[in-house]
Amino acid sequence: MLDKIRKQFSYFFNKPTHIASLAVLRIAFGSIMLVSTVRFILKGWVTAFYIKPQFHFTFYGFDWVKAPGVIGIWVLFTLLALSAILIIIGLSYRLAITAFFLCFTYVELIDKTTYLNHYYFVSVIAFLLMLVPAHRYFSVDTWRKPSLSVTHVPGWAINIFKLQLVLVYFFAGISKITYDWLIAAMPLKIWLPACSNLPIIGGLITQNWVAYVFSWIGMLFDLLIGFFLLSNKTRRPAYLMVIIFHVVTGWFFKIGMFPYIMIFVTTVFFSAETHLKIIGFFKKLFFITPQVGESQRTFQPTKNISSLISVVLILHFTLQLLLPFRYLLYPGELYWTEEGYRFSWRVMLMEKGGTAFFHVKDPATGRQSEIINSQYLTQFQEAQMATQPDMILQYAHFLAHEYEKKGIKNPIITTNSYVTLNGSGTQLYIDSTVNLATQQETFGHKKWILPFHKKY
Amino acid sequence: MKRKYLYTALIAVSTFILVQSCSKSGGSDKPTDPVVNGFDRKTMLTNISTNIIIPSYTAYQGAVVNLDAAVTAFNTAPDATKLTALQAAFKTAYQLWQSASEFDFGPAEQANLRVNTNTYPTDVNQITSNISSGTYNPALLANLSAKGLPAMDYLLFGTGTDNNAILLQYTTDAQAAKRKTYLATLSTELKTNITTVLTAWNGGYKTTFINADGTDTGSSVGLLINQLVYDYEILKNYEVGIPAGVQSMGTTFPTKVQAYYSKISAQLASLHLQAVQNLYLGKSAQGDGSGLDDYLVQAKAKYTDGSSLNDVIKAQFATATTKVQALTDPLSVQITTNTSVVTAAYTELQKLTVLLKTDLPSSLGVLITFGDNDGD
Repeated sequence: MLDKIRKQFSYFFNKPTHIASLAVLRIAFGSIMLVSTVRFILKGWVTAFYIKPQFHFTFYGFDWVKAPGVIGIWVLFTLLALSAILIIIGLSYRLAITAFFLCFTYVELIDKTTYLNHYYFVSVIAFLLMLVPAHRYFSVDTWRKPSLSVTHVPGWAINIFKLQLVLVYFFAGISKITYDWLIAAMPLKIWLPACSNLPIIGGLITQNWVAYVFSWIGMLFDLLIGFFLLSNKTRRPAYLMVIIFHVVTGWFFKIGMFPYIMIFVTTVFFSAETHLKIIGFFKKLFFITPQVGESQRTFQPTKNISSLISVVLILHFTLQLLLPFRYLLYPGELYWTEEGYRFSWRVMLMEKGGTAFFHVKDPATGRQSEIINSQYLTQFQEAQMATQPDMILQYAHFLAHEYEKKGIKNPIITTNSYVTLNGSGTQLYIDSTVNLATQQETFGHKKWILPFHKKY
Repeated sequence: MKRKYLYTALIAVSTFILVQSCSKSGGSDKPTDPVVNGFDRKTMLTNISTNIIIPSYTAYQGAVVNLDAAVTAFNTAPDATKLTALQAAFKTAYQLWQSASEFDFGPAEQANLRVNTNTYPTDVNQITSNISSGTYNPALLANLSAKGLPAMDYLLFGTGTDNNAILLQYTTDAQAAKRKTYLATLSTELKTNITTVLTAWNGGYKTTFINADGTDTGSSVGLLINQLVYDYEILKNYEVGIPAGVQSMGTTFPTKVQAYYSKISAQLASLHLQAVQNLYLGKSAQGDGSGLDDYLVQAKAKYTDGSSLNDVIKAQFATATTKVQALTDPLSVQITTNTSVVTAAYTELQKLTVLLKTDLPSSLGVLITFGDNDGD
């Protein structure tokens, strides 16, 4: 039995597999990232998110990541676009994918206001792409240096992407097995009627039962699709489902590039034969004469590099398996406290909104001021901050600092904040008597988050 | 193996339902049933644009045209009667502006109507220097607080202790001629701005507005709620909170009220709150039409205690209105002598902020900030 598992394991990781899948993934990922970057620039978000704000909400432990200024941020985005092009054509691939990973992750770390699961997903895929020789086939690199060219890679080089995708979908599915999502059909009961202006189906989606159907299909889709994609028998219909599902959600909700990223990246599940056909198609498109009878050359990293990659991958996937469950270490309602919420593939689960009024008090005089948040934050930042305790705390510390500069010693910062979650109606979110200036950010539970009451 | 069949069946069923739900209503030619089709946002947008926005702009534009004419008449031969007439025309314009400031999107946003019309407190030094230098650049940022209604408020009511003294500024004063020119420049600019905006609304923008009936960031409902909240916060903060010292460690700033010199601040705040409420209710001279209140009712939006969100919002509008109506003019004096009445109004306005800014859009799934959302 053990032997059998070991064999399966070895098969999964070591069996030489045609590299075509990896080359297609490289091109697919590079292309969608290029589109994504250009779209981001055209929407004016570089200025709106990274130049205009005077204060940024950094991630815990990443305070050293600073907005690099007007020139710096444009350099980063230029590098992103350039490296995406290099990734597509497979020129200086190792350098390009590393640059892409670093630039992209840096930009994401500047401000958690813009945090989205799919940005995290992009970072993860770019990270994994750094570890594989995706440029050793159908690339400018192999054209310039044919000795680089290989036809096969050990199975792990492709299977790590499948594993990652299965995890993403599966965890997204698990996170939907909740009372709110399945029994109350929230937040779809709020979101779907908001789409009633859509042509053809607009009239239908305002009905309650449709929200239930969508909720249950969404849960089942996420939970199962990864496994259907893995199986040879079900792959084709499953991929069709991937396209339908993502196009429909992309049509309904303002979720940007995410549907297209998933549609592109999940092609990795297809067999090497399919990918060879895709590459054959590209070759025809660019009038490249296909090689006849390529002889098998398998990519074999040196032993040292192999073990290094193994260690990195084991660490990575262990982390991937554990992170979504870290919320269990915190008390209270996860969607309310958001402790352990990020990096867990929890998507579309909340309609959450908030308003937070901050007060600063001079302990020497007892006098108090209310803060006009728009003086310091953009509307986007203010809206995100109001519903996320760690951001509320960061902002409170920022305010304390501002008022210390104005000459008030040890200013007391309190907040009156009201949050609504999935149609609950607003209720007090943060203990308004607590001086947030003296509270420290930790990985521990924030005791000053008031419990969530669902009163009806 | 069995499990595989089960999964395949599940996928097949879900595909079927999805395809069904996508295509089902495709061929139906049935008349739109409001109960089945949910809230008809187009009807609301039509009511709001036809009966609220355009009439508000038209009324304000008319008042500004009168104001500009009164300035011309006054400038030609300044006397006490014409000054009184001009002051009255100004007050009317300022009153009507209270119902025209909420719609700072589309044409108004392009013309920067709100800041160009009503940035206060006005900068007396900048005004004085503009008058004496005889040059005025309307595009200059520093001139934002030296123009519009607040600057005219100063010029018509604040340049002397009484009307006799004010009149001298336009007759015998060394700067009289230049002052008259400046006054005329400002009223003309007000007229040009609102005329541009009104023309755009009467042109194609009304149709654009009604047709953008989605709920995402650029949709009309999104813009409307966003600006309703933004304008409401101006009322709360700038007309009441800041002068009452709420944002300055209790130090009051009575001179920062809206319409400080003409002393109609409290009256304007009441009108402004009324305008916000009317927009929420969809209420106009044509009656109580389709508004955000009906939208909330249709969406069965609930407040924390399970009661109807619309009822809670309407009740808070009523409470806030009572408190704002307790404000008396001159508000600047009341702030100094009876601050607690003013801060009490502020407190009730604050409560309404949460309802309008968070409960309202979150119950309707309306997006008011930019950026993508998490996808699935």
